[in-house]
Amino acid sequence: MDEGFLKEQQVMESDLNSETSHKSSVDFLMDWFRRRSIFVLAYGTGCGAIEMPPTFTSRYDAERLGIRGAATPRQADVIIVSGYCSYKTLRRIIRTYEQMANPKYILALGSCTVNGGMYWDSYNTIKRLEDYLPVDMYVNGCMPRPESILEGFMALQKEIGDGKISSWQKYEDNYAFYRKNQEAVLGQTVAPAYDADWYLYDGGL
Amino acid sequence: MIILDLALMLITAYFVGFIYYGLYRNITARFQRRIGPTIFQSFYDSIKFFGKKEAISHGWMFYLGPIIMATGAIMTLFFIPFFYQSESFSGLSGYGNLFLVLYLMLLGPLGNAMGVGVGGNPFGVMGVTRGLTRLFALELPFYIAVVAIMSISQSADIATIAGSQTTINAFAHPLLFIAALFSFVAMMGQSPFDVVGAPVEVYSGPASEFSGKFLSLLMSQSAIFSFAKLVLMVNLFLGGADGFFELLWKTFVLFLFVIAFGAIYGRFKTPQSVDFLIKVPTVIAIVGLIFATAWGN
Amino acid sequence: MFATIKNRFATTDIEVKREDLYKVVVQRDAIFELIFMLREQYDYQTLNAITCCDWIEEEHFAITYILTTSDRKQSFMVQTMIGREDAQIDSLTHTFEQAEIMERDLHEMYGIDFPGNQNLVELSLENWVHTPPLRREFDTLEFVNNNLSFREGRDGNMDVKKEMKRLRALKKAQKAAAKKAKEEASEVSDGN
Repeated sequence: MDEGFLKEQQVMESDLNSETSHKSSVDFLMDWFRRRSIFVLAYGTGCGAIEMPPTFTSRYDAERLGIRGAATPRQADVIIVSGYCSYKTLRRIIRTYEQMANPKYILALGSCTVNGGMYWDSYNTIKRLEDYLPVDMYVNGCMPRPESILEGFMALQKEIGDGKISSWQKYEDNYAFYRKNQEAVLGQTVAPAYDADWYLYDGGL
Repeated sequence: MIILDLALMLITAYFVGFIYYGLYRNITARFQRRIGPTIFQSFYDSIKFFGKKEAISHGWMFYLGPIIMATGAIMTLFFIPFFYQSESFSGLSGYGNLFLVLYLMLLGPLGNAMGVGVGGNPFGVMGVTRGLTRLFALELPFYIAVVAIMSISQSADIATIAGSQTTINAFAHPLLFIAALFSFVAMMGQSPFDVVGAPVEVYSGPASEFSGKFLSLLMSQSAIFSFAKLVLMVNLFLGGADGFFELLWKTFVLFLFVIAFGAIYGRFKTPQSVDFLIKVPTVIAIVGLIFATAWGN
Repeated sequence: MFATIKNRFATTDIEVKREDLYKVVVQRDAIFELIFMLREQYDYQTLNAITCCDWIEEEHFAITYILTTSDRKQSFMVQTMIGREDAQIDSLTHTFEQAEIMERDLHEMYGIDFPGNQNLVELSLENWVHTPPLRREFDTLEFVNNNLSFREGRDGNMDVKKEMKRLRALKKAQKAAAKKAKEEASEVSDGN
């Protein structure tokens, strides 16, 4: 038989005996609740951030699906990397992602997070986000419209409900790999200085 | 038997509180011409946060904050009788009167202030500062109104106050009711007095450093505390309730008013809200007090 | 004004680029004197921008100070050349405070040093250790290929240009065949 067909068959069969079948009832219940309540960090990292306000306000109303904004990383479940991501932004995204509580998910928007997009030859922009952070769902387009973002969210919800996503676990298990890639572009000091300098010094607020 | 009574009160307040919060989000969405979430959405959020894992620690004082707050909320609930002439659902109200309830309502915010202060998050501290400033302002008209009601009823017992109203106090003493209502909107954290948790300015205020189980606890206590405050207002001004149906529709009418009020107003700054609360409602309350003592009874 | 500048700074010409924009190229040691003179005597009170252009073939940077009058109706470009190696020119911060951030920008992007600027730290890059990115010897594509990885294409990935050509040819052939069939049909009908 043809090799591609065999591989496809394998993929389909592996789906059947995935972890869903031997999930405890508590896990099942928790996944059900997680799926229905998604807090999105209010942090726009690129030009795609402009598509997020319409997604969350009256016109497209993501709240009817249980998706709503969260102001601080401590309370957020999802961080949206919306578009191109320069080194300087990547530092902040890594810091923010590491501050979020498990389980956490990353939704990546636009061509830029997939393969650099129109910034493919920029010296200051990373090309593949998944080298540095574990991405759960890509929404393609430049930029994706709110409809696409909602569809991405719904796909994410489905995966969460099935208990398939464990990217935060992947990040912890393969931390050496991610750290190596991060250090390759950001140098030894991956995260920005962690203090309230801007608040306490230099004139303050 | 009292243990069973308390447990039933807590369970009722928990579920009704969460359904009211779901309704709040849904009705606000309808005001904004959205479909809005289901009425169980806040409950889902709370359970989800309970299932999150925390990896940080700020020391035990930080985690004591939400616990003190929840203690304050639950104790407040226990000392407020749901019905004015019923043995059940009266909780501990035989052991403490309105003064104790007013004191217990302050316990939560103060405990939370200590916890947030330890966390070291500048936005949390900022939110707490604003919260306490607002608290001192809103207490003034509320306490004047409550003292007037106590003097009218010649009693500090909540069940007695609720049962002794031939015409309900909201109609008999409208000025006191209006003054207390302004304070009540501020107590519920609604616009225009919602500067404490303003998400765009101070990143959800006092709660900005909490996550996981403690945020879930904060949400639960907020639901319970809201219901306790609603029941207190119904007892003091709307003639109390004789059964669950009456209690639910009276609290819901009050809650709907608060939602509608919050949905159409913008946000005051902290000094503005303090200014407003110690000027307008306080003056109304004092005039109401004079009327009540001069021509009352 | 033109005559004064020509006499004093021994420049050959002042270019009138537009009705409201003049340009003059002067020697490096005379440029600040010219800027002060424009500011004090001819009301060019605002420093709009400091720009830099990398002339790698002639081995110099062209630094241009753009000054504008207080009524915003006239601008003057004052240009000078500095060598590319150890590029250095005095800071203008003592005269125009806003020069600080412009000089930081040039320092970061071209590696030009501005003695006298107290705050010559990085502006928008962080911990940049390579060649300053806007110098022309900095090869962006080479840098990207060395430091960053691209995603490999799909297995069935096709060359877009070739594919478009093939599809266009296919369409053309189809059209021609349809036309031919139509003509034949009409011929048959004519014959009848």
